Amino acid sequence: MASIELSGVTKRFGKVTALDNISLEIKDKEFFVLFGPAGAGKTTILNIIAGIHMPESGVVKINGEIVNQVEPQNRDVAMVFENYALYPHLKVYDNIASPLRSPRHKKDEAYIKEAVERVAALLKIDQFLDRLPVQLSNGQRQRVALGRALVRYPNVYLMDEPLAHLDAKLRNVMRGELKMIQSNFNTTAIYVTHDFMEAMSLSDRIAVINEGSIVQVGASDEIYYLPCNEFVAQLMGDPEINLLDCEIDVSGNVYSAKFTEIDAVIELPHDADVYATLKDYGAVKLRMGLRPQNIEFSFDPADGFIQGQVYSFETIGNKSVLTVTVGGKKEVRLIAPNGLPVKLDQNIYIKPDLMQSLYFHADSSEFICRYNEAAIRALAAEKAGEE
Amino acid sequence: MAKLRIENLYKRYDLKGKKKKNAKLNDFAVNNLSLDCEEGEFVALLGPSGCGKTTTLRMIAGLEDITDGGIYIGDELVNNLHPKDRHIGLAFEDYALYPPLKVYENIAFNMRAKGAKNDEVHRRVMEIAPLLKVEDLLDKMPVKLSGGQKQRVNIARAIVRNPKLLLMDEPLSHLDGKMRQELRTEIKRLHNKIKCTSVYVTHDQLEAMSLADRIAIMDLGVLQQFGTPLEIYDDPVNEFVAAFIGEPPMNILKTTIAKIESEFYFTFEDSELRILVPNRYYDLLSDGMVVKMGVRPMDVIIGKEDSKGEPVKVAVFENLGDERRIGVHVGDKLFMLITSEEVRYKQGQSIKLEVRAEKTHLFDIETGLRIRN
Repeated sequence: MASIELSGVTKRFGKVTALDNISLEIKDKEFFVLFGPAGAGKTTILNIIAGIHMPESGVVKINGEIVNQVEPQNRDVAMVFENYALYPHLKVYDNIASPLRSPRHKKDEAYIKEAVERVAALLKIDQFLDRLPVQLSNGQRQRVALGRALVRYPNVYLMDEPLAHLDAKLRNVMRGELKMIQSNFNTTAIYVTHDFMEAMSLSDRIAVINEGSIVQVGASDEIYYLPCNEFVAQLMGDPEINLLDCEIDVSGNVYSAKFTEIDAVIELPHDADVYATLKDYGAVKLRMGLRPQNIEFSFDPADGFIQGQVYSFETIGNKSVLTVTVGGKKEVRLIAPNGLPVKLDQNIYIKPDLMQSLYFHADSSEFICRYNEAAIRALAAEKAGEE
Repeated sequence: MAKLRIENLYKRYDLKGKKKKNAKLNDFAVNNLSLDCEEGEFVALLGPSGCGKTTTLRMIAGLEDITDGGIYIGDELVNNLHPKDRHIGLAFEDYALYPPLKVYENIAFNMRAKGAKNDEVHRRVMEIAPLLKVEDLLDKMPVKLSGGQKQRVNIARAIVRNPKLLLMDEPLSHLDGKMRQELRTEIKRLHNKIKCTSVYVTHDQLEAMSLADRIAIMDLGVLQQFGTPLEIYDDPVNEFVAAFIGEPPMNILKTTIAKIESEFYFTFEDSELRILVPNRYYDLLSDGMVVKMGVRPMDVIIGKEDSKGEPVKVAVFENLGDERRIGVHVGDKLFMLITSEEVRYKQGQSIKLEVRAEKTHLFDIETGLRIRN
């Protein structure tokens, strides 16, 4: 159990700046996710907290104490790696027991037995305790690796992409199971991932990391519904959010978006806050973000629908992605049910749900506003208040 | 381009020694397979490894002897026709390009082998290359290409002679994530342009669902179902097909039917959960009957306060942004619900579940076959 604090941490590897003046505060017992693309610096943050890397500048605190000079083994952290790193010659039981037999955390065998059985039951590996790692599937190995961490109650669990090695199906299952047993952790956890679904599902809060810097920190609802820029909006969601160049036309009391790439105009629903923000924003050019599930479609022309052609139709499991070319070249992705009888290049008509639209600065890509912003902030605050 | 007809096709590998002694009569790699592919149709052979899909493809190509049955390309029986006389284009998982030849010559190879003239070869290569977006690679050697580019060249080579049939065996399985998805889209668009009758072998249900006009699902050498992606997804003939298609998979659970006040409910061992049975099944069911029920996570609905049935505790709630997933325990299994609605639940909270009537299936507890009315 511990709070973790990083302030002004910079880490260089040769000429490469891996972390650039990073500050983070992670609360006691929080499940904190470091999320970002490959090479963002997520794992480096983890390694600095663990004491594996020394920062060039900045301070790392555990429970308010500066630990920059504290050796890794004295920081009382438990790590879980992507590649499991099990002892190949030890049975599952002994792998899980190993931290409790190390000189620092030594416990008697009766305690060990109880602890191993507790985590084995939690992770559903109780029937494999006599096996060697080589006799396990990848999913089972990852459970053992998790078990080896969970068998102790350290200051903090540090988990580096623990599900990344698993295939999609197993990853879905394991993510759900991790979510189910989270409440048993009883200590702070920092979890690195590049998978937005893991970040959304598991986190109390998320820090989005890119190129060694923190882009946004917040509860999952904030990150998803109120991304601070286009980069974050694009990371959160599969298929990616659609970004459409548009110009705002004001005529009388009505605001309309004129889509420059697809030659269509749509009236924006009246909303005092959105209208006021767009008015303050001044410049007419911006980009509208529309998530694929927020676009309706029809095979017949209808009022308010924009014509396009089907470019592709592909399933992603329990639903499908329709890619529609509008205005000849702009591709717009939307969600459709599986098995829809659709022909490539046939006409299709689409209509965005503007109440779900996000607005970004055309040059800086920074977030400007969206509909229902106040309600969403209230929801996120409510969730944060629970924890 | 031609249609393909497969009639009562069997394949048994000759077993040697001990294996032969233990062989059973039904040890067929392909067991009584009949399929019709229309001219210009794209058919996927889908199934787990060992289901006989590749063996079938190889028999169509003539690379494998037929134990019994007939294969017709157009109206011609090709059982005894040499592979080279079947006018087939082949693209396999490994690209097998000729390493010393440039991309252009790789694509041209089969035409040159047939003695086509230079200008004819050139015309055809230049026609095909843009279809697969390899027109800028024609001067390159295979070793300089990425996996995706190699597979594009491989497919270009397969279609350069306007084959009657294009046969593909897991052409995307060597490729990773994004490239795989890109080439999948390209294959679909290519087919839409050239409309060459195609048979495509895959174990990946997403590929089959995305590419095929019709899907033939096989298991243990036996055809389970042959239908459009919609039929396969929404109207599976048995438990195997239902479970194989869709991710996260369909909830399929053993259930005991309970009649309470003239209404039927699904009840489950070791679970409080009770779900109202759709009306349409009432004439098939009786109190105490044991069947399996199947419903996809997307077709489970959150019940209202006054919904019929018994509530159960939420075991896991995940807000994934694009959708929300709720899992409840049924015995040691998890019953999943996926919704796009903006709901929020907590672990341990009570929830009632309903199922969409037209999307809920019953399966025979013994045979796994759909129980229909």
